[in-house]
Amino acid sequence: MPIFRGNSPKMFLGTLVYGLVNSVILALVAMGFNMTFGISGIANFAYGALYILAGFGTWILLNSLAIPLFLAIPAMVLITALVGGLLYRFILIRLRGMVISEVIATFGIGLAIVEMFRFLGFIHVKYSLPVFSDGSIFIGGVYLDFQRAFIVVFGIALSGTLWVFTRHTRIGLAFRGIAQDERTALTFGIDSDRISALSMGFGGGLCALAAVVILPLRTISVDAGYEVLLEALAVCIVGGLGSSVGVILASFILGMAQTFTAMYWGPHWMMIVTLVAILAILAIRPSGLLGKQKELEERI
Amino acid sequence: MKQVSSIFVLMICILSVGLLAPSSSLGAGGSDPIIIGVPTSLGYPPGKEALNSVMMAVEEINAKGGVKVGDTMRKFEVESADIRDAAPGVPVPEALLGLEKIILDKKVHAIVVGPYRSEALLAGMDIISKYKVPMIGSIAMSPASEAKIKGDPVKYKYIFRVGQNAKTFIGYQMGVMKYLEKEFGFNRLYAMYQDTMWARKSAEILTMLLGKANWKIVGNEAYPAGSTDYSPGLMKARAAGAQIIFPVFDLPQAGVLVKQWRSMKVPVLMAGMIAPMSGPQSWQTYDRKIAGAVNMVMEIGNVPVPKVPASVRYYEAYRKRWGKEIQEQHAPVGGYEAVYVLAEAIERAGTMDPDTVVAALEKTDRKGAMGRIRFDEGHQTIFGNDPSEKAMGCVIQWREGGRRVVVYPESIAEDKIILPSWLKPAK
Repeated sequence: MPIFRGNSPKMFLGTLVYGLVNSVILALVAMGFNMTFGISGIANFAYGALYILAGFGTWILLNSLAIPLFLAIPAMVLITALVGGLLYRFILIRLRGMVISEVIATFGIGLAIVEMFRFLGFIHVKYSLPVFSDGSIFIGGVYLDFQRAFIVVFGIALSGTLWVFTRHTRIGLAFRGIAQDERTALTFGIDSDRISALSMGFGGGLCALAAVVILPLRTISVDAGYEVLLEALAVCIVGGLGSSVGVILASFILGMAQTFTAMYWGPHWMMIVTLVAILAILAIRPSGLLGKQKELEERI
Repeated sequence: MKQVSSIFVLMICILSVGLLAPSSSLGAGGSDPIIIGVPTSLGYPPGKEALNSVMMAVEEINAKGGVKVGDTMRKFEVESADIRDAAPGVPVPEALLGLEKIILDKKVHAIVVGPYRSEALLAGMDIISKYKVPMIGSIAMSPASEAKIKGDPVKYKYIFRVGQNAKTFIGYQMGVMKYLEKEFGFNRLYAMYQDTMWARKSAEILTMLLGKANWKIVGNEAYPAGSTDYSPGLMKARAAGAQIIFPVFDLPQAGVLVKQWRSMKVPVLMAGMIAPMSGPQSWQTYDRKIAGAVNMVMEIGNVPVPKVPASVRYYEAYRKRWGKEIQEQHAPVGGYEAVYVLAEAIERAGTMDPDTVVAALEKTDRKGAMGRIRFDEGHQTIFGNDPSEKAMGCVIQWREGGRRVVVYPESIAEDKIILPSWLKPAK
């Protein structure tokens, strides 16, 4: 196993910087999946498909319809949110409460969307989104491009906004009400189906936001539909499904662990880190770091 | 009950659409066609563009009446199958099922393009030999297939390769490295490669050969297929004082490496092979940040080389037929040439008997879009530096404005390699 020992303090700082970026990317990717599950209890396995839908959709708006980036992004975020909401309204509403059926349905829909893009020929390197601003800053002994710096700022701002939204707005409070106790929330006149549809929509919207800020660093590939779902699942399993703080904590643990592993052992060990973390957490604390489901089940 | 009826009606509709949909095969329009199978990863650009090229060659040959088999003219027909062997996580046995299915179900007489991953090719060689179907591959690159053919020529004689293998690729890369050493005094190399069989072997062999030539290999690193962050390797290359990064990647996501190379301002020349950084579209895809990068094109024709007019003719014919330029650096022209190589071998054989066709394939000597094609005893196309004598790959350099300039081998070069302004020679 090649262990790299070069230029220590500078390399360490650089690894911290890129580890932070990786952590925020993981948090952004998992946020929408976690929010939908936390509120409605639906594990949206079409999440990765919504991610590439947002990516390809933005590309089409930009390149085929010549819509400027600052309009294409909000338009695609809204469209993806709408798709998420409609998935609930027309399909998941009939399966509500049947967990396995929900998983099968969302996975099937996701598969259909992802493979549809492959079938339609969306398999070329030309599918990439432009960076918001070109250039780099020198920080921690390394150059960091503006897009990655923006992702860090955006991730922090989005987390803060969601915190305020779920505590100080009517819909946010309804989200929390359903998340805490659906039956009690119903007695207060909160429509659980409406809130669940909204939670799918919000999850989709967050997923699209993640896509449009992360994809300028990558190319939009059909396979990303599967990879992003796995990343979101891994973070949520380690952090605890439904726990926002747990997801952020897990993102930082996994993000830093992946980057440090890639730097000091080798990039091909990165995936092992995630798998080991999942296995360890399932063995020691099946609900995840800050999840509560297992404890609740045991109490019942 | 109403719901059950609706589902039943929906299923009938779906089945009807499936049955009525036009076949994906390119029809010969006559009886008793020669069926060419194209089982590969059609969901990836090399597979897709290679299939386009195969269909183009078939159209050209059919337009001239087809292939003369003995006394009769027979047309070609193409059957394709997506065996998905390039997709991360798809196990080799699944790809082999697709390979066997196209042989048995479509009754193909020959296969072109073939498996994408060497792992699938090596495992699939037994299936191809079992059914005695001549195959002229153009994507998978591991020389291990030739070793198998040489080890048991009676069994594996049906397998040929019209594109480059990892050995010939390394031959060109050694030439480029010597060129860079001579011109700029560079001799410190960092290898970054995709963790797949052919890429791993290529990097291992090149670093071993350069080590023997007194180069300093300051590091090497394998990245899992589909990686999207290369900052660890780039930081290490900078810290280790590398002068050249030798990348070997063929998946679409790998172009991100070059983007990061520029944004992290790593003062190193990028010279190797990043497949998604070859086509004209790459300039826009990678935010016009790839100027200076030196990149291998596995076969000429995939880029037009003015000094080889046949490569320009093929490139332009592809653009005219499909309404867009070739973006891949490996496989499209190989698919095209494979059809012609097969057609000529069948005509020489005068029969569709696979053993006779294979014997005729072994005598191939064709001058086409990628130079002169002849096979060695391992059924590998012989590559070199003179297009009138051998098949050829070439090396391009991206220049400001999005121009691709052929810089190596010197026999077909349009210009010399020019260092980016922010990079200084070591001598």
